[in-house]
This record gives sequence, structure tokens and C-alpha cells, in this order.
Amino acid sequence: MSLFKTIFTGSNQALQAAKEFLNKVIEEKGRDHKVAFPDTAYSLPIIYAATGQKMNTLGDLEGALEVVKSLIGEEKENLENALNAGLGTAVASEVIEAIKYATIDTPYSEPCAGHITDSVIRSLGVPLVTGDIPGVAVVLGECPDSEIAAKIIKDYQSKGLLTFLVGKVIDQAIEADVKMGLDLRVIPLGYDVTAVIHVVSVAVRAALIFGALEPGDLEGLLDYTLNRVPAFVNAFGPLSELVVSAGAGAIALGFPVITDQDVFEVPTRLLTQKDYDKFVATSLEARGIKIKITEIPIPVAFAAAFEGERIRKGD
Amino acid sequence: MDEKLLSIDSAVNELIKKAKEDGVETIFDRKENMKPCPMGEKGICCRICAMGPCRITPKTPRGLCGATADVIVSRNFARMVAGGAAAHSDHGRDIAHVLHMTSKDGNYKVTDEEKLKELAKRWKIETEGRDIYDIAHEVAEFALNEFGKPFGTLEFPPSLPEQRKKVWENLNIVPRAIDREVVTIMHSTHVGCTADADSMLNISMRTAISDGWGGSYIATELSDILFGTPIPRETEANLGVLEENQVNIVLHGHEPSLSEMIVLAAEDPELIELAKEVGADGINLAGMCCTANEVTMRHGVKIAGNFAQQELAVLTGAVEAVIVDVQCIFPALASLAECYHTKFITTSPKARITGATHIEFDEEKALESAKQIVREAILNFKNRKKEKVFIPKTKSHAMVGYSTKAIINQLDKVVNSHIDKPGTVKPLADCITSGVLRGAAGIVGCNNPKVKHDYGHVEMIKELIKNDVIVVTTGCAAQAAAKAGLLSKDARKLAGKGLATVCELVDIPPVLHMGSCVDISRILELVGLVAKQLNVDISELPVVGAAPEWMSEKAVSIGTYVVSSGIDTWLGVAPPVTGGPRVLEILTSEMENMVGAKFFVEPDPIKAAHQMIEKIEQKRKVLEEKFENIKAVAQA
Repeated sequence: MSLFKTIFTGSNQALQAAKEFLNKVIEEKGRDHKVAFPDTAYSLPIIYAATGQKMNTLGDLEGALEVVKSLIGEEKENLENALNAGLGTAVASEVIEAIKYATIDTPYSEPCAGHITDSVIRSLGVPLVTGDIPGVAVVLGECPDSEIAAKIIKDYQSKGLLTFLVGKVIDQAIEADVKMGLDLRVIPLGYDVTAVIHVVSVAVRAALIFGALEPGDLEGLLDYTLNRVPAFVNAFGPLSELVVSAGAGAIALGFPVITDQDVFEVPTRLLTQKDYDKFVATSLEARGIKIKITEIPIPVAFAAAFEGERIRKGD
Repeated sequence: MDEKLLSIDSAVNELIKKAKEDGVETIFDRKENMKPCPMGEKGICCRICAMGPCRITPKTPRGLCGATADVIVSRNFARMVAGGAAAHSDHGRDIAHVLHMTSKDGNYKVTDEEKLKELAKRWKIETEGRDIYDIAHEVAEFALNEFGKPFGTLEFPPSLPEQRKKVWENLNIVPRAIDREVVTIMHSTHVGCTADADSMLNISMRTAISDGWGGSYIATELSDILFGTPIPRETEANLGVLEENQVNIVLHGHEPSLSEMIVLAAEDPELIELAKEVGADGINLAGMCCTANEVTMRHGVKIAGNFAQQELAVLTGAVEAVIVDVQCIFPALASLAECYHTKFITTSPKARITGATHIEFDEEKALESAKQIVREAILNFKNRKKEKVFIPKTKSHAMVGYSTKAIINQLDKVVNSHIDKPGTVKPLADCITSGVLRGAAGIVGCNNPKVKHDYGHVEMIKELIKNDVIVVTTGCAAQAAAKAGLLSKDARKLAGKGLATVCELVDIPPVLHMGSCVDISRILELVGLVAKQLNVDISELPVVGAAPEWMSEKAVSIGTYVVSSGIDTWLGVAPPVTGGPRVLEILTSEMENMVGAKFFVEPDPIKAAHQMIEKIEQKRKVLEEKFENIKAVAQA
């Protein structure tokens, strides 16, 4: 299948899944059931930033899915339609995640963070602006083994990047004893692909909070994320159509996707890197991240990411 | 005559009006008075022997010798190919002679040593520890032998995919020596020789290939070696580049061996001083047709205009001299120049024109010779009649200089150094296979008063880039694009999102000026390299070609070698073949089975663009399936 067809297929799957989930919960809870993420002033941030509309009830989400439908639009294959379809997947994913929060008592529990609160984002703002956090890595999928996963995540960690984990790579990181937590700049989000939306939500709220973006200014949003949020995606393991279409959403926001799988490459945007030793360097170059670094030859990793580390008795 | 309908270029329309006021005629008037012979238009008029002229009608379905309509049409077509191939190839030969003439202290020097050594290596000429000029002379000699070697076949450049060569081998159309192919056509079209349309067209393809992958290819490569491989640079285009207070010299024709020396001469301090002595602010060079393309690609010399504008330049009353060499020069310039102070100077013994001032360009004393010609122009400044001067204000900014090497250099900007090596066309191939670019189109060719001037070029290009098809262009099509502002980086706002994104990342305009008509070999090179990168034949790529306003026999040869190379080609003007049903059938249908591409005729550029896009999407589908299968096989 062509790259763009794959994206359209994945976006339609996302739309379908969201629709079915929504219909089911509306049947159970009714249209007026409240919808909100905890501790945010931005409603469903992606939908709010892109359309200017706040989502309050399950009924409102039906309208959001109309937005998804219009983003997937006609399936004439070209970059514009493919990127829009990718954004459609992002919106559909936000709908799915919002329903989880609206209908499940604790949708996410240790080790997964799920939704990130406004106050966390505000605390990340300064180090992002100063370059103390030089980049945001989104690592999703499954690495060939946990050793590779740990090596890559620790490399980002030692360079001070903020790393979000989605999917089986979370278990791989735990297995390889990667220390995680906000203080350590490694944040597992969730096991479903749709959980990746919680990092997109961080980028989008950064635009609203720090970029003073007007809600509804989609062009402005895409411009801000492209130029101001130094994020990128590492996608490991077999890529489903859904993951590819989510990747298109990342690319629409200006975040390059680097994968270990065979894909139709797009220079600077969608790259295949088979050599895991070069994964980090490839990703940093693709996003134009230059690390100001003075290597100190000491036997343990040294970086700002370890500043908040607690040494427990057992260690 | 409704001048509003003649061109989309306001400078042209303004000067057509001035022509009327000045009481002089231009091509647009002559077109009005000329009623083309319907027999000639269909290609069914034959005068290759003295038994004729014969023409095919329902009453006389055969010529005196018995030749049918198809035989006559195919022979006429073949002779057009031969004329075109001969023009390009003789151009190539001259450049080879100039390379042979180079010396350390001479007027002609080797500029791109790297390219020379590459070519030497390809032709197995020793380069280690040798003087660069010894290498140059041997390379020149090798090139010259390509025109007339008695045995073997053409040495193909490394950009030709093996698959394509096989196609030609199977059809028995691998060219031998370049001149020999032209001679063979003249032989086979003689009375009582080839009388089979299929065979005649095969011979035509072979001759055309000897042009594209031979004569033209050699002309381009050796021109780069002599005068430098073009790199991106800025320029301006249209008649507005002529200056009120300067000595305006229009360079028109084709061969850079003359124009390069004129460029040098125009920078000569003594001559600039002379220009000031005669009351001008300086010397202003402007190019026209393919000479303009050569000097703008390498020096950023401004472009005065394209083919249909050559008389209009004189009509401004501000041109001191039109200096010409060979090809596409209106003989009408001689009488037109008489109505103004303009000196019409011919320089080549291959193209003398009655009524012109002939100053023969002596390549042995090239610079001196060029200075003499420029001096002639400067001294003519005092004869300018102020009351007759009218320079249209129109001009546009353009980026030029996109040789294959320059394009690859730009592509290096988007290479991730941890994945790929620089210096390849992989990023371009990736953009095409991923679908960010839907395909690529080469828009080339002339002007033809049968269609609205520049309309076909500009509208077709706009429609293609809007649909994420990247356009490369050469010749007068490139100049039409330059005048319309399509060669500016700003033009990316007219492009679709995919192409606009590529333009931004790679830092290029959506339409790339690749040079003169012989530089269509650059397009073959680029397309060939992409095909090799993907390990497919050229005919499998989503690539199309078009000549919306073609007119010359060179264009016929070009179209034929482009189709023979596997690229579907759209013509905006029907060639004189409609009287031969078999010939028409082969050109517009059966060639697809032979070489994987064919001719299309569509005078409406927008309709043509849509057909091209449809073809591109068809080819994408097949290519995507092929890649899918390769992946499946690899995984199994």
C-alpha cells in the first residue's frame, strides 16, 4: 500500500474506533455525561487549540468526530490530505482518551502517567525555553530487546532530553531497570497507541500557555510546534496503519518520525534507521537538536535528568 | 489582428503595438498572412525526387514511385528528426573542437577539472599524473570520434539504466556513430529506399537517441568542463532588462563558445571605457533563446526573452547589436534591423544571413574576435534614435543554474548523515516514492505562433506544480517560466503542499531551470539516476514530458528521444503526421509497447496537464505494487 493510503486507512480506523467507543458510552451514560481531563484549563487541548471549541459532554464529542471526518476528507493522495488525516487521528485519539477519563475511575495507574497536568507543563516551560531540556523524545512501540530500549532511553536521558514512552517499550524499560519519573525526565504514558496523544497535548498546551496561541488558530499551532517544540518520534517494531497515521499527525506538527521499519522515507520527516547504535544521533540531527555537552569521564551517567533522583535505602 | 490574443506577456503585446506604429512586420503579422498548405500540414506532400512533387489525395493514393501516405509521412518525419539531431550534434561537435583547442594560456580553458576527469575515467583515458590539458585533448578526441567512429555503438553515460539499454537492444535501435545515424536517415529517405513506416520510425528513434544520449549529452558535458558546471544563481527575465542608458547587446543563438567570449569581452575595462566615451553608462548584455540559457546558467546574464521575442528586442529601438551564431535565428531580423539603428551581426559560417553584418568569429583568436564584435556594438550607440526607444517595464526575478550536480548539492541539505551518504538523488527518489511529490515533468520546447505565446508553457507548469508535480524546464519554455515568475523561490506559494514543503526544505523554486535545449540531456541524466536509484526502468517512473509550443526539428528529435527513453510526451502542436494513419498509430499508441511511452497531442495546456497527472498516478500505482511485491519477497 502507498504511504498515503496507509495513513488514510489508519485514520479511518481511528475514527471508527472512536465512533464505536463513543456510541457505546453514550448508550451507557447519556449525551450529557461530563467530559474532562484532570487539572487542565484547556478542556480537550488538541481540539480546543485546533478549533477553539471546548468539549464538555459526551454529546459534544460527536461534533469532534465530525471534525475528524472532515480532516480525513477526500482520499486524493497528496501530502496535504495525508497530513490532515494524521491530525484527524490525533483528534480521534484525544476523543478516545477523553472518554477513558470520563468513564473509567482510574484510566491510568503506575507506571503509566496518562494525561499530564497543566502544572507539570508549566514546570517544564522554563527548562524547555532555556534549552536545559534540549528536546522531547517520544519512544513508542517495541524494541527488538529491552537492552536496546534501555540504551536508547538512557542515552536521551543522559543528554537531558525529556522522553515519553508509549507501548511495550515501557515494560522493556522497566525490565532493563531504567529509572523513570518526571524528575528523571522519562515518562511512561500508556500501553495503547492513543496514549501518545498525552504528549501531543503537552506540545499543544505549550503553544497555548507559552506561545499565547489563540484557540482555533490551527496554522499558528502548527507553526509553533514546528518551530518551538523540539520533539521527535522513535517508532519501533511493526507499524500498524494506525501507528503510521498517528505518525502523520506528528509530522503535521513538525515532529520527524524515525523508525527501524521499512517505510517509504520522506527526507527529514520520516526516516528508516536500522542501526540502533545510530538511532539517537539520527533523531537529534533530524530534529536539528544540538546538545551543548561537556563529557566528563566518570563511571556513572551525569545529567540534569538525574537531579531529582532519590537514592533509596536498597540502592 | 487582435493583439490581446497573441501573448500572455504584456511586454510582447506592447511591442506588437509599437510594430504597428513603426510600420514594421513581425512573425505575428507573417503568421496572419500565411495559410499553411493542408498537404504539408498532414505530412503527405513529398518532394524527395524530381518525379514529384507528389501529394496524396483520394484520387492519387500513391506517389509516382508508389509510396503510400504512410511511407511519405514517415520519411518526412524521419527527416525532421535528422534535421534536429544534426543541429544538436553539430553544436556538440563544435564544443568538442573547442575543448581540443584549450590550453593553459589560451582563451579557452578547462574550468571544471573534476568533471573532465570523471568523463576521462568513463572513457578509460588515463588521468593519473597527467597534465590537465593533455587529458582534455584526449577527451575531446574521444568525443569527436563518437560522431564518426566506423565501428561499435555509442558510449552511453552511466546515468542510462541497464533496463533501458536492453529495450533498445531488443528493438535494434542502439545508435552507432552520431553522424552516421543522420546520414542513414538521409539515405533511407531517398527515393526508392525505405518504404515501411514501422522501420522508418525505428530508424528515427535510433537517430534521436544518438542526439539525446550522444550529441546533446556531449555538448552539455563538454560545455560544463569548458565553462563551468552551473550552480544556482539569480537573474532577471523579459525585455525590461534592457537599459535606457547602456549599450544593449542581445546575444542570440546557441553555442556557448561565442557567448562565453562575448561575456568576457563585455567585462573588458577598455571596452567599458569606450562605452562611456560614446555616452553610455556601460555595457548591458542580455540573452535570447538557448544562448541566453547558457550564459544565464553560468553567469546569471539577464534573459531578454524567448524565441518569439527576438524581433521585439530590436523593436525597442534600444539594442545596439543582436549578435547571433546558429539555430532559431529569424532571417527577418536582417530587414527589421534596417528600420532601426540595431546592427544584426552574424558570426558563424554555418549560418550566414543575407543583409546581416557578418563578422566571423575566429575561435583561434576567440577573445580578440569577441572584442571586435562588442566594439562594433558600442560604436553603434551614438546612432540610437531616442524618439524610437521604448523599453517595456516588464521583468521578473528568477533563480537559474540547476544542473544535475547543483540539484544533488541542494538535495544533500536534507540527507541525514547517520543514514545516507551525500551526493545522490536518493532524497528525490524518496520524495517520489513516498508520494510527497506525485511525479516530475520536463517542460521544454519553443514558441509557435500557432498557439498563444507562452500561454501553453505557463498554464501547464502552474497546473502541474499545483498538483505536487515538480517541474524541470529548459529552452524557451524555461524563459517563459522565468518571465512569469515561476523560477522564483516565491513561486512555491503556487505549489501544492507536498511540492511547497520540498521546495522549502531543499531551498529551491518549484520549477527548476536546467539550461538550454542541449541541456535536456541533464534531464535524461537526472531521470536516469533516479531510475537507477530505485532499480527500475525510466518508463516505470511517474515522469512525463511536454513541449506545449514546439516548432523546430530539434524539438521533433527531442520529443522522439524522450519518448524512446521511456517518458510519455505531450505536444501542444500536432506534428505533420496526421495524413499517415499507420505513423499516427505507432507514435500515439504502439510506441508504448515498444519503448514504454508514447506521444500525446493536446493543444489545451490545462487538459494536457490533467492527462499528464492521470498518467503519473497510473505509473505510481504500478510502481507501488512493484515495491510492495519486492517487500513481500524480501520478507518471505
